[in-house]
Amino acid sequence: MSFFAKNQLLGAQIKTAAVASSSPRRRRSPAPSDDRSLALKTSVWGACKKSLAVFSISAASFAAAGGGGFVLLASSPPPPVPPIDGGGCGGGGGWFGGSDGGGFWSNLLSPLAAHAKEDERPEWDSHGLPANIVVQLNKLSGLKRYKISDIFFFDKRRSTIVSGSEDSFFEMMTLRPGGVYTKAQLQKELENLASSGMFEKVDLEGKTKPDGTLAITMPFTESTWMSAESFRCINVGLLPQTKVMEMDADMTEKERLEFMRAQDREYKKRIDRSRPCLLSDDVKKEIVRMLNEKGKLSARTLQTIRDRVQKWYHDEGYACAQVVNFGNLNTRELVCEVVEGDITQLDVQFLDKLGNTTEGNTQLAVIRRELPTQLRPGHVFNMEAGKQVLRNMNSLGLFSNIELNPRPDEKNDGGIIVEVKLREMDQKSAEVSTEWSFVPGHNGWPTLASIQPGGTVSLDHRNIKGLNRSISCSMASGNLLNPQDDLSFKLDYAHPYLDGVTNPRNRTFRVSCFNSRKLSPVFTGGPGAEEVPPVWIDRMGMKANVTENFTQQSKFTYGLVMEEITTRDETSTVCTHGVRALPVGGLSIDGPPTTLSGTGTDRMAFAQANITRDKTRFLNGAIVGERDVFQLDQGLGIGSNFPFFNRHQLTLTRFVPLKQVEEGTGKSPPPVLVLHGHYGGCVGDLPSYDAFTLGGPYSVRGYNMGELGACRNILEVAAELRIPVRNTQVYFFAEHGNDLGSSKDVKGNPTEFFRRIGHGSSYGGGIKLGMVRAEYAVDHNSGTGAVFFRFGERF
Amino acid sequence: MAAQIAREWSGIQQFPVATQNKLHELLGKLKLENVSTLTILLMGKGGVGKSSTVNSILGERVATVNAFQSEGLRPMMCSRTRAGFTLNIIDTPGLVEGGYVNEQAIEIIKRFLLNKIIDVLLYVDRLDAYRVDSLDKQIIKAITDTFGKRIWQRSLVVLTHAQLSPPDGLNYDEFFNKRSETLLKCIRSGARINKQEFEDFPIHVALVENSGRCNTNADGEKILPGGTAWIPQLVEVITTVIANGSKPIMVDQKLIEGPNPNERGKFFIPLILAFQYFFIIKGIQRAIKRDIETESRPAWELRDMGLAEGRF
Repeated sequence: MSFFAKNQLLGAQIKTAAVASSSPRRRRSPAPSDDRSLALKTSVWGACKKSLAVFSISAASFAAAGGGGFVLLASSPPPPVPPIDGGGCGGGGGWFGGSDGGGFWSNLLSPLAAHAKEDERPEWDSHGLPANIVVQLNKLSGLKRYKISDIFFFDKRRSTIVSGSEDSFFEMMTLRPGGVYTKAQLQKELENLASSGMFEKVDLEGKTKPDGTLAITMPFTESTWMSAESFRCINVGLLPQTKVMEMDADMTEKERLEFMRAQDREYKKRIDRSRPCLLSDDVKKEIVRMLNEKGKLSARTLQTIRDRVQKWYHDEGYACAQVVNFGNLNTRELVCEVVEGDITQLDVQFLDKLGNTTEGNTQLAVIRRELPTQLRPGHVFNMEAGKQVLRNMNSLGLFSNIELNPRPDEKNDGGIIVEVKLREMDQKSAEVSTEWSFVPGHNGWPTLASIQPGGTVSLDHRNIKGLNRSISCSMASGNLLNPQDDLSFKLDYAHPYLDGVTNPRNRTFRVSCFNSRKLSPVFTGGPGAEEVPPVWIDRMGMKANVTENFTQQSKFTYGLVMEEITTRDETSTVCTHGVRALPVGGLSIDGPPTTLSGTGTDRMAFAQANITRDKTRFLNGAIVGERDVFQLDQGLGIGSNFPFFNRHQLTLTRFVPLKQVEEGTGKSPPPVLVLHGHYGGCVGDLPSYDAFTLGGPYSVRGYNMGELGACRNILEVAAELRIPVRNTQVYFFAEHGNDLGSSKDVKGNPTEFFRRIGHGSSYGGGIKLGMVRAEYAVDHNSGTGAVFFRFGERF
Repeated sequence: MAAQIAREWSGIQQFPVATQNKLHELLGKLKLENVSTLTILLMGKGGVGKSSTVNSILGERVATVNAFQSEGLRPMMCSRTRAGFTLNIIDTPGLVEGGYVNEQAIEIIKRFLLNKIIDVLLYVDRLDAYRVDSLDKQIIKAITDTFGKRIWQRSLVVLTHAQLSPPDGLNYDEFFNKRSETLLKCIRSGARINKQEFEDFPIHVALVENSGRCNTNADGEKILPGGTAWIPQLVEVITTVIANGSKPIMVDQKLIEGPNPNERGKFFIPLILAFQYFFIIKGIQRAIKRDIETESRPAWELRDMGLAEGRF
């Protein structure tokens, strides 16, 4: 049987090709073998094109989600087959081995006769016959243009009319009810159907209707084969083409038998050589059940099986997989031959701005580390692996455009070449921006003198040596006339692949110089207290650290920090102690010392380590998982007053989904309970600017930053319940922060000095409006509530 | 202040003879116990009658008392000698300001008391204040934080304005008991004195009436509604407190500044660091490793690795 099957396979492929080139095709014409690959290409393109469309959409949405300014593309060249009727263009060549030596071949889904539509015109001729008589096809006039009002398939074997326009028969038909066709077209259609392999016998007869149109009935006998009991799926991708042997017409019966046996053996060998396919057992069982139910194998059953198998593959992301053949027909076991889309080659190309291939600056090893093994030759192409490539490449931040194309391998039947096309960003960039700001002058009105020119200068040098090393520096000032007032600068050098680009260990070395100015939440008044004069903490220094990435999210950073901290008051003069306004009107200047040295300026060097274990992931848009962070600052006794300290913080956050939900786009996210705990502590020298502060949107909501206190040890616990409502979510939370009685252990006791309590709870609820959270929080100390608007997430 | 020369206690002669005799007797008793100097510290909220009490005890107008104005912010020490016995009384400004404990006042008091020995603390409050609130507790806490818990072993509560008619339905003793009870409870919780400690060193309560309209008995002694003369009684209570076996409070630099929290535990930092490295950082690292191993991989990845075997 398989011999014939072989033969028919080629026929099918030719047919696909023929359709592609709109050339007339002949039944059972022997084909040169390279036509097969042509045909395969067509169908692979068809299949891939469909899924790639989906792919590019997801890629685009990914780019949007990543917040990067890159456009990711996964494009494919225009398919060779122009779509017809907007119908199926994901074609696959299927074929069936015949029962009695005479096989049929079919191309079940390929659109036929593209010219059917061309002649469609409103004018049509009446049949000119009495109503309600049956007219054979050959009795129709070749000159008339008949309007077809109805089409029926009539199963002769079962004497039933096949109804339902979704039936595969109708899919094959190019005739549509309401269309106008000539006799020649109808004949051609009949020929097509007859040669499709679905029918043993098919006919076409018209029935005249009173209004001059024709109703077409197609009596048919379906091709059927012996019922099969088991089902087997094999991957025939990359298998060498078996030689086609024509059966001599004048063989004796014995020779014929011998020949068929030989073919059978050959086919068995082919099956043995083939690799097991990925198809899941569930689908196999489903198909076996179907086979048992249906009894005799009909063409339509095979078609359903093929569709089911292909659907599974495509649903699982194997975009290039397709059923190419059913073998072993008329035996107990039905063999489904699948080309799964084995990758034979992985190409990385760099494109310049015009889209021409160039030699890239980036070293290939850098790109290779980002490509998952699943895309290496020998693996089956999967869309998810492709998406992962896009994600990984995008996270490198080196490319403005990333394309991934699977392409059929011309030299290797059933093989896929994966092309990764990358457009590199400019290596160097410089940017200068200026701005004007108005400072309210006298009487609060801006004057000419109060206009301040400001500006930012930034320089970037990316991808040095093609190893993704980068230097970036930026400088900004809000007032260029007096830049010393608020000049901020940042200089960064990043050196990835510290252990070598081919070493799987992923460590990055970074050096940065920085300065910053922040308002100290330590010097903040408690509830109801009069305004506390602010203290600004200026930091300037440099940092060198090594980051080791264990996973995309989990990492370990350790390094050294050297910095100079200066504390300033409102007037930018160095201050040494916190100040509080007395009720009498004066200022009490003997507040807590701002620095360790007591001079208003501290210099220190310390070691810093941070380990993050992040197992969170998005489940239909809601975060679930666990996140643990431990941060450690270890003083080394280097600096003013020889600071020696151990400052540590442990943060544990759990996102517990409260309902099992199915994962998938468009599915609703589960309600999530967030549990959060944060402990911080410091042993040894603790300057005020390093004290932990209680209160604020990231500590205890409902209070101002530092409103609850500044302490040496801190404990915060929080719980939040997030409930998805339509497209957004509402949440309820309760939080508590406590200084564990350690406020008095901070020098000068800033908590008490500024009349703060040292602990506090809050509860409330809110709703997410896009990026903004609107929440109502009740401060438990005073029992009053307030509405807050915040950006981003608390946890 | 310390250099201030102690004057002769002339005011004692103002007292009625009965009181003078009693005082002499008590001072003599103290002398027998080798106590020749007695330093009394008065603390309390503003306007409760601390300065008046000083005046009453000494029998002189040493502290200016004004009914409507708070005295200055400076503490004041009066030293008087009598028959080789020195009595120091330190009057302090009120500890409350604007509804809060005035740390500045405490700060000034602390500095004033530097290098002095306090024998007795008189915590002064009014008898006719009906309620005890969190502010009282905060004051107790502030005193405890400043001088240590031990000061309460050397203290007594003085309730001024003792000559009052109690609110309806209560007789004087009942009211006095209730009032002192609540106040003592407040002190105990504010200073975190447990039951055992309180039993070992109970805090006595003494009543004072500084008003010029204070009733007198036949000897001309100022008496309380119960009929006892309060000045000798107060001094007597003071002597019992002194004799209770606890040590006087030496106010030195260390006590004022408290232990330097920045120095505490510094010695253990290497140990803490080692613990953090081996147990927390290593622990999290192990957890990450476990995460990577048990990571739920998508079906396509498992199939690729040949682990699926048709299961999905």
